[in-house]
Order: sequence, then C-alpha cells, then structure tokens
Amino acid sequence: MASSESEATHEIECIRRAQQGESGAFGPLVERHQQRIFSIVFHLVRRRDEVEDLAQEIFFKAFRAIRSYNFQSSFATWLSRIAVNHCYDYLRKVRASRISYYSDMTEESARELERKVESPQPQGLDHGEKVALRDFVGRLLARAPADDRVILTLKELEDFSVEEIADLLNLKSSTVKVRLHRARKRMLEDLERWRQEGK
Amino acid sequence: MDCKAIRELVSDLRGGELSAEAREHLSKCAGCVGFLRDARLVHAGFCALAEEAAPEASFGFASRLIRRLQEWEEKGARREFFETVGRRFVYATFALTLALLLSLVLPTSGPVRGVGGADFLGLQSNSQSSQPDVIGGEIGDSHDWIPGRLPD
Repeated sequence: MASSESEATHEIECIRRAQQGESGAFGPLVERHQQRIFSIVFHLVRRRDEVEDLAQEIFFKAFRAIRSYNFQSSFATWLSRIAVNHCYDYLRKVRASRISYYSDMTEESARELERKVESPQPQGLDHGEKVALRDFVGRLLARAPADDRVILTLKELEDFSVEEIADLLNLKSSTVKVRLHRARKRMLEDLERWRQEGK
Repeated sequence: MDCKAIRELVSDLRGGELSAEAREHLSKCAGCVGFLRDARLVHAGFCALAEEAAPEASFGFASRLIRRLQEWEEKGARREFFETVGRRFVYATFALTLALLLSLVLPTSGPVRGVGGADFLGLQSNSQSSQPDVIGGEIGDSHDWIPGRLPD
C-alpha cells in the first residue's frame, strides 16, 4: 500500500518534471508503462515486427503532448488513449494481410475444432488448434472496420471494462455498449459472408 | 423468440449460457444454430488471442527512447532558432525591397517631393523671404565681409 503510494507520488513528480521539459524524467514513466502500451499495440495491430516502432512513436507523441496532461484521468489511461488513437490511425492506413493457418486446415480438422468450441468455455484445445483459432479471429479482425477492431480488441483482448473503454475513447458508457454489440454482430455477419465467399 | 432476437442475444453471449426459450428456438432453427456455432468459435478465438503474450520491450528500450527524445529536443531548439532568425531576415529583406521599389516608382519631383511640394502642402513660396534673416538683416543685405572694409 505504502509502496504503491510512493510509486504514485514518484510518478506525479516525474510527470511534472517532464512537463517542464526534462526529458530524462520521462524515462521512469516509459519503463513503468511500456508493457501495457506494447500489449495494446500488439493486440490492435497484430504485427510483432511493428510493435516496438509504434510504441516508440506513441511515447514520442506522449512526451510532446505531456504539457496537456491535466491529471484528471490516470496517466496510464491518458497514455493508453494516445496509443489507441495512434494504432487507429495506423490501422486506417495499413490493412495488414496475414498468413492463413485456419484456411489451411482440412475440413475435418475445422469441424473438430468447431465441435470443441461448442461448450461455452472450451477446454482441451491443443497448441495447433489455438494457433488456428488465433489466426481465424485475427483474420476476422483484419477484415473489420477500424472502429470495430479497436473496440473489440480493447474489450475482448485487453479486457478493459465498458467504463474504461468509454474513458479511453471519450464516449458514453451506453454508446460503448451499443458499439460493442454492433461490432460483435457485424463480425458474425461478416463471418457468414466470408464462409459464402469461400464456397 | 424469432431469429432476429436470437441473433441479437447470441452476438453478446460470449461465454454465457442461453435461456430455455432461446434453446427451444435453436432446436428448430438450423440457421441460428450455425450463427451460435460461429459466435462460440469467435469467442474461443478471442480467448486464444488474449492468451498470446505481447512482445516485451527490447533491452534498453526506455533509455534509447530518452536519448532520441533529447536529440529531437536539441534539433528542435536549433530549428526554432533558425526559423526565428530566418523569419526576421525575410521580413527585413521584404521591407528593404519595398523601400527600394518605392524610391524607384515615386517621381523625383511632384506633389510629394521637390519645390512644387511646398505649394502643394500649402506653404507660400515667399513666406520664407518675409522672415528675417538669421542674423537680423533684411533681404538683400549683404553680410559678405570684404577684407579692408569695415561694415557700415
């Protein structure tokens, strides 16, 4: 408890010094939040080779804008907002195409996989099946509009609450709920179309 | 419950269970069963994706970043200096050029310049002559000093 308080005090001190232009004071802030930013970037962009470059650009942006940080939300939330916006811009520019593993599965293997995930909490998936599932949803996400991709990733992969997403995206909680519902539905409808295209 | 209602429900199902009413519909509707199967597949896919760990920052990521920030700041300060100096130089050049152009364009005599200008400005040409000489004499007085001759 005391250590988390002292960490918070240290963070505030670093932020204030960085706001006065002391770039060295930004270092501890980077070290403290880098893994969170890496995770957001990785799940949104889904390209390992791009994560570090994008994270660097995000921290650059954050340092340049740090004077505008007014301590109203937590620094982590403020930084995550910059990360999400940066990735959103990236996604709009680049629609990454990924190697397909799911489509390489035989019809029998795909059916076996579908049978395994029939229960609400699927168990007993082996490594190969997990790889196929990741690829399958990764491809669906890549097909989705950037708005849907961002909101679904924050909810399903980063496990943010609706309130946290609302805070990150400057939306009302009710709007986030509606957008999440629509994004999920659109993804399932897109999957139906995708299947038909494949036939 | 109709298909539309089931699809609305299934879209937000994630790992949850369906109500008895929904299950009853599903027992009769192959289309909705397919939709539910896809929803389960997508949910499982998201779970598998979430398990995948993000890459870790490479060793020295923060210190490299700070070094680049410092370089960027130095460059930024230099650039700002040159931009300010450059802007002032451009303004000065512009002002000089304007002055030069005006001096070329404006006539050497006319209402603004030269003798006629005095009339134009409402000054009488003889007003100067009516004024006393600086030494106090009248016009035409000669104050030339001739050696060997005393003034009158």
